[in-house]
Parts: sequence; C-alpha cells; structure tokens
Amino acid sequence: MASAPPLYRIEGLTKIYGEGDTAIAALRGVNLDVPKSAMVVLLGPSGSGKSTFLNIVGGLDQATSGHVHFEDVELTNLDDNGLTEYRRHHVGFVFQFYNLVASLTARENVALITEIADEPMEPAEALALVGLESRLDHFPTQLSGGEQQRVAIARAIAKRPKVLLCDEPTGALDSQTGVRVLEALDQVNRELGTTTLLITHNAVIAEMADHVLRFADGQLADSRPNPKRRRPGDMKW
Amino acid sequence: MSLSPLDRKVLRDLWRMRSQAFAIALVIAAGVGMVVMSLGMMRSLDATRDAYYDRYRFADIFAPAKRARKSLLAEMGDIPGVSQIEGRITAGATLDVAGISEPITTRIHSIPASGEPRINALVLRSGRWPDPNRPEEVLASEKFATAARISLGDSVDALLYGKRQQLRVVGTALSPEYVYAIGPGQLFPDNRRFGVLWMGEEHLAAALDLTDSFNEALIRLDRAAVPDDVIAKLDNMLARYGGVSAYPRAEQISDRFVTNELAQLRTMTGILPPIFLGVAAFLINMVLSRLIDAEHDVIGLLMAFGYRGKAIMLHYAKIAVALSIPGLALGIALGSWMGRGLAGMYQEFFVFPFLTYRAGADIYALASLATLFVVLFGVFQSVRRVRRMTPVEAMRPPLPPNYAGGVAKLISRLRWLDEPTRIILRGILRRPFRSALGSLGVAAALGLYITSAGSSDNVAQMIDILFDQANRADVMVTFAEPRDERALFALARAPGVWRVEPMRAVGAKLSGARKSKSDGLTGATAGSDLNRLVGIDGAIIEPPARGVLVSYGLANELDLSAGDPIDVQITEGRRGRFELPVAGVIKSAVGSPAYVDMAMIARRMNEAPLASGAYLGVDPARIDDLFRYLKATPIIAGVFLRSASRTGLEETIGETMGIVTLFNTGFSALIVFGVIYNNARISLAERARDLASLRVLGYRRSEVSYILLGELAILTLAGLPFGIIFGYYLSQWLSASLGGDLFIIPFGLSASTVAWAVLIVLLAALLTALFVRRRLDSLDLVAVLKTWD
Repeated sequence: MASAPPLYRIEGLTKIYGEGDTAIAALRGVNLDVPKSAMVVLLGPSGSGKSTFLNIVGGLDQATSGHVHFEDVELTNLDDNGLTEYRRHHVGFVFQFYNLVASLTARENVALITEIADEPMEPAEALALVGLESRLDHFPTQLSGGEQQRVAIARAIAKRPKVLLCDEPTGALDSQTGVRVLEALDQVNRELGTTTLLITHNAVIAEMADHVLRFADGQLADSRPNPKRRRPGDMKW
Repeated sequence: MSLSPLDRKVLRDLWRMRSQAFAIALVIAAGVGMVVMSLGMMRSLDATRDAYYDRYRFADIFAPAKRARKSLLAEMGDIPGVSQIEGRITAGATLDVAGISEPITTRIHSIPASGEPRINALVLRSGRWPDPNRPEEVLASEKFATAARISLGDSVDALLYGKRQQLRVVGTALSPEYVYAIGPGQLFPDNRRFGVLWMGEEHLAAALDLTDSFNEALIRLDRAAVPDDVIAKLDNMLARYGGVSAYPRAEQISDRFVTNELAQLRTMTGILPPIFLGVAAFLINMVLSRLIDAEHDVIGLLMAFGYRGKAIMLHYAKIAVALSIPGLALGIALGSWMGRGLAGMYQEFFVFPFLTYRAGADIYALASLATLFVVLFGVFQSVRRVRRMTPVEAMRPPLPPNYAGGVAKLISRLRWLDEPTRIILRGILRRPFRSALGSLGVAAALGLYITSAGSSDNVAQMIDILFDQANRADVMVTFAEPRDERALFALARAPGVWRVEPMRAVGAKLSGARKSKSDGLTGATAGSDLNRLVGIDGAIIEPPARGVLVSYGLANELDLSAGDPIDVQITEGRRGRFELPVAGVIKSAVGSPAYVDMAMIARRMNEAPLASGAYLGVDPARIDDLFRYLKATPIIAGVFLRSASRTGLEETIGETMGIVTLFNTGFSALIVFGVIYNNARISLAERARDLASLRVLGYRRSEVSYILLGELAILTLAGLPFGIIFGYYLSQWLSASLGGDLFIIPFGLSASTVAWAVLIVLLAALLTALFVRRRLDSLDLVAVLKTWD
C-alpha cells in the first residue's frame, strides 16, 4: 500500500468460529499493510468479515492463525494482558451504538479513558474537538444519537491513540447527523494524524478515505487508493 | 480531590439500585444481625453467670453429712486444693403461707453468726439482714417471696423438724445456688410452692439439735485443684459423720439447669445464625452475580478501552462492598441492640443480679469479614466469568439461546400454550441453573422461616409428651422419709383421691467403667397410669424386669451401652453396693436418667418395697380438702401440682426458647422478603428490554406484567416444596441437637407452622408483585428504540 514502514503489517489472517461441521470461517487469509496516518475505509456486505478483521486488529478478539504486526509488536503473540496494554495505550474505538456508560456524563465518559492514558487531552478539549463544548455535563440519555456518537469519538481520541477503529459509526444515524460525525473523524485524522480504520455499509463514505478496502466472503476482494479524498461535508447520500 | 469517573459510576449505580440495595441490606442485616445478636447474647450470659458465681463465691464442691463437729472444718480446709471452706446447716421444712391452700416445701440454710455467708454469698434484694438476736427473722428467696405474695414483715408458719415455728421475713435475697430453685424430685421451678429461706445459724442449729455442728460443707477450690481428688478425700473424712457423697458444682441442680439452658440457647444460637449468615451470603452472592452479568457490556467496553482486569475487579468490588456496608452496619447495630435486649431479658428470667454485656469488636469483625468474603468471592467469580469472554463477545448482547433442546421442543409442541406463557417457560428454561438458584433462594428463606417458627412446635410437643402422656398425676407428694405401702393406703382414703401410685427415688451413685455420677435411681412399676415412662417418639416404655433403663444423656456421660454393668452405690438407708446391667438406653423427653423396677430394686436393697412419695389422681372439685388434709399430715414433705409444673416448664424452656424463636422468626421473615424482592428486581432488569419491546409491539400492560410476574410466580412456587423439605429436616436436626443433660426436645413441627410460612412467602411475593407491577407501568419504551436490540 505504501513504501514508508506501515503501522500494521497483516499476513494470512484467519478467523474460524466454531468447530467441525458447524465451523464458520469469518476471515480466510487476509494480507494487508496499513500506512501511518491513513484514513482507511472498509466496505463489504454483512458477514464479509470486516468487523472480525477490525476486532482482531483492535486486539478485541484472537485470530485463529496468521499474523498482525503493529509497528514492532506481533499482536497475534500477545496474551490477554498484552492485548489489554496494547488497547490501553494505542487504540481508540468508536462503535455503532456508541456504548457510552449510561451513568456517566459526557465529560465523565471521556474521563473514563483519559484516566488510564499516558498523555491524554483534557476531556473538555476532546469534546470541543467534536463540537460538544456546550454539552459537557449531559448524561447520554439527554443527548441525541449524533451527539452520543460524537462523545464516543471524543472518548476515543482523547488519549491521542495511534489508531482509531470505527465500526459503522454512522450506522444508527441519519445522513445529516452522520456527516457531522464523519467531519469530526476527518478532522481528527487530519489534525492529529491518527490512523483511522472505518467500517461502513455506505459506499459514499469511501470518498473521504485515502484508501478503500472491500471485503467479501472473509477475504480482501479489493484494495485501492482513493486519489481524490473529499471532505465529509461535500458528500451526499 | 475529584472522584475518578469509575468511582462516580459506583456512586450513581448505587443510587440507581437504591431500592434493591435496601433489600440487599435487609438480607445482610438479617444474617449479620443474627450472628451478632446471638454471639453477643451468649457471651454476655456466660460472662454474667461466671461473674455472678465468682463475685458471690459459688461453691465448687458441696459436701453433705448428717452431723459433723465444726472443728472438722479446719482439717477439711487443709486438703490440698481447697482454698476456702464453710460449714452450714441445711434443712427441709414445710411452710403454711396465708392465701395458699397447699403446704409449701422449703429449704432453709443457716447464716453464720459471724455475718454473711462467705461461700454462696447472698445478694440482698430488699429489706435487711436478720437480727442475730431475733430467732424468728429470716430472708426469703426473691422469686419465692414474689410468687407466694409474701411481703417484708409477713409471718409464716414453718414445720421444722416436727416443731411448729413462726418465722418473719425481713428481707429478700438471691443466691448463685438458686438461680433455678427446684423442689426435691421436681424438674421445673414452681416458685409459688417451693422456696428458700436463710436464718441465723444459732437458731437453726437449736431447732435441729445441731449446735456447734454442721450438716453441709461448702468448698471453693484453687485453680490447680483436681476436684475428684478433693471429693475422694472429703468423702473419706465425712464418712463417719453420715457423709453421703460430696458432689461438684456441675451436679448441683441449679447449676445443672442453668448450664443446660445456656447450652440449649448456645445450640440454638450456634446452629441457626451461621446458617442464616450462610443463606444471606449465598443470596447476596447470587444477586451480585446477576447484577454483574447484567453489566457485561460495560465490562466489555472497559476491556476494549484497555482497563486492566484488576481495575475492573476493583470497580465491582467497590460496588459490592458499598452495597454490603449498610447491611453490615444495620446488622451490627440491630444485632448489638437486640443482643443486649435479649441478654437483659434473660438476666431477668434467670434472675442474675447484674448483666455483664459482652459483644466485642471481634464478633463484629467476624460477621463482617465472613460476609465480605462471600460477597467479594461472588464478585470475583462473576467478573472473571465475563472477563473470560473477548471484549467483542462481552459487549454484544448475549447470543440468542439455543432452543433446540428437548424440553424446549416439548414447549413448542404444547399447542394450547399462549405466546406469553411460552415466553415465560422458555425464559426459565433458557437459564435452568439461574432459575434453579432463584427458586433455591426462596427455598432457603422458607426453610429458615419454618425452622425458626418450628422451635415453638417442638416445645409444645415436649409439653404434650410430659403432661398429657407421661406425668398424668394431678398431685405428687413426697414423704419426709421413705414409707411402706401403709402410707399409700392412707393417701388412697384422703379426700378427693381416686388413684394412688407409689413414687420411689433412691439416692445412689452410679458408675460406669470410667466415670461416676450421683444421680439416683427412679423406681417405676409396670402398668402405671399416673406416671408413665414415655419415649421421645411418644411410645410408652415399661420398666425392665431386671437391670437399669438408662437415659441417652447419662449413657453418653458414663459411656454406657446396653449390656454394660453399672456399679450402683446406694447413698441412703442401708447403703448397699451392687452391680446392675444396662437393660437399654432410652430417649425420653425429660426425666430421671436411670429407671429400675420398683420391686426389683427393693429386693436388691434388702428392704420391703418403699415409696418416697406418691402420685395422686384427684377430683379437682375436692382439691382444697386434700390440701387441708396434707397440711395436717406430718409425713408429707412436699406437694407438687402438675398444672404448676406445666406452667413452670412453659415459663422456663418455653420462654428461654420463645424469645430467641421470636427474633429468629423475624430475621427469617426479613430474608424471605429480601430474597423475593431481589429475584423480582433482577428479573425486571434483565427483561426490561424484552418487555418494553413487547409494549412497543402493542402488548398491554397487563399482558407484559403477566410475563414477568408469571415467571416470578413459577420460581417462587417451585421453591416452596424444597423450602418445606429443607425446613423440615433443618428443624428436625435442630431439635435433635438441642437435647441436653436434662431434656431432649422432641421434633413436633406442625402443619400450621408450615402453612404460615408458606403464607408469608406468598404474601412477600404478592407485595413484591404489586411493587414490580408499578415499575413495569413506567417502562421506558423510547429507550428500546434508541439502542440495539
């Protein structure tokens, strides 16, 4: 994908759920390099393996075989504690359904991460980055879906992670709100240089990527650069 | 310093769970409160008794004799191990008290001329000490004075050594020797018909012709003394003076009763509270696991963010500890308060002159640590279970369960079931283990309630065996000296008497291979109707033609079993010594430890059959005539009424156990409510989402309630039979464990107690249902639409 040393080098990544007759191969030998600071969009139908891929790269799940190198570290060799440390120091997550802790305010949800990070931003600063400076002390139930997702993004970036992994971050949002969320991600990627992997069903969103991956049937069906990266505000669906 | 976000979450979670936290606190408080109350009370009573005995110098050894010169006391005091010795005069007498038709049995002890008794010192409760110059002045035991309505200054007529004397009560007293004041041959206190008097030594000696002599020595021992050695030496020295056999404090009747009652209390408080604490801890463990399981998505999220296992564990441990603290505090406060109150009630009941309350930090720490250990263990298990999943799995809602199983298929085949009922049944079967635990919680709570409340049934059963089956004589009289059958013929002609049966108690020292005990033999006759030997199971036992029927307690103490020889040393009359075989070991609810056939023992003692007293069947309409007759009959030393004994028993064992039973029952009711409420709240939390979805789909409130409450009802009902079984066996075990030296408590759990217990559970379920129903009405329907399903 690129000539500079990649952030991730992935070789023969395979994930099989279940055993024997009922075994299902979610990933079948994926090979890929992910360059630093890239905005990568992963496309593909349900069950194509893109979420499984993201989960393994994010250290949330274990591969059945194959290798994931993160800088000098071989993730597939790490045990549970090693993966925990990897996630703690390097990875930010944004999930489709926000996964905010209901009993914490926006600021506290972000603080949940800054607490355990090495050189985090102030929670207020991270929330300001996603345009929520006026909603610091609101609880999740007092926020709209888009606002909740932006809190989730602020939470993910507040520790200045090396990589931001987003699984359908706009999947539960209407298009206008979705654009605001994507703008926040785009801004973080440009300003902080955070490598971002973003899963979506929506092919239009691929226009904001540096690089587009297409998954099908557990394999990487297509991997192409996007020479004309667009601002989310210019996209329509 | 500001709180970390996780700590804020702790606080907000606790606030959110406040009503459930309240129920948890109740359950913990019940468990901890029981332990603190019981241990504190027992310890206080033990300490109080010990302090009382110590402060009022209760004798370690009692050495009765017929008449010994006072100079012998100095020699006896030189026996190694004896630290203090005092001689006194003890005599039996009957009193005629105004307002009481029957003669009253009394025991009179001398007060030394030098002042107050040094051993078995008295606590003066009212009035003053008798004036040494006024021979008629006496102290009366406080309980007796109260029960017989004798006021200070009242005169009573005493028949002392055949002479009628007028005595005047100038004070009331307590003695460590009469914590339990029981008449000869009696098993239960009857304070109205048995009393203790203390009078000046000089006057008592003159009346009994014992000047410069004593007929009982009281001995206090050094710590290092070996009581058996001292007793052997005392027996040796007193043999010439009609010494019968000195006996240790443990054989002194009052101490035996107090020890026995305290032992029963200790058993009750030793068995049930740990079970309470265990059940409470189990329930809290269950509740916490479910609470934590319900948080699996948050745990998954924290894992995804790189929170370490320890930090996650700590977070939930904080919640669990915070949830436990109110219960611990409440339990300790309540338990201490009630323990103190209970100890106070027992202090009055036993009549200890003071109460030494001991509850101590160690009891609090023990109860708290035990609870926290179980709670934290529960947290550890639950968090670890979630942590074993990958973060992805943990964040996902639980996978749809596999409905392909056999039972589930059966449910599918039951076509007449409506959908909501299917949902209920599948919900229960989806997690059979968890459902079973829920039912088990109800069962445990119900079982505890049955056992607690069933204690009263056991006592009622004992009273029935004793007074409706065994002892059926309206009146029992004792003779001053054993008499032959002519005395019985005379009694048969007394007014109102329709049946007479002999009573025979033989003073004897019984020895097994290693140990011996001065316990006496009780004579019995086959075919007796007024005084039957009844086993704990209600069966009538006939006396053996030869040999001794030994009670379970004595058999254990002397290490005897059927066929073993017993060395019998008669301590009255001609004092024979012979061997008798153990004919059998019986479990009788209460009574003398060793039974022999009356005719057989007379033959072995080389005497004509004698009676120490008689059992009388009396026409109730003529009972006052009988009392008048008995008062005028010199050979009668004591008169005892069955009705009074019954009241005495009800007031002693009935009350000692009754108070504890009441508190146990209260605590178990708390647990019942706590368990059912928690079951319902957790089900609600786990199902809120499904139920709200159904509401969105158009289900009515009543239909949605049916699903949740139907599950609650099934789990509660399923727990009932197990709870009854658990309660039945626990209650049986408790009654078997309560058997002491003097009584065995039969097992008499009644159907009505079980019915009440079930009713309480159903009531708890109903109240909970009403409460949960209100919660269901306010389900947040929008929330369902907002997030994932």
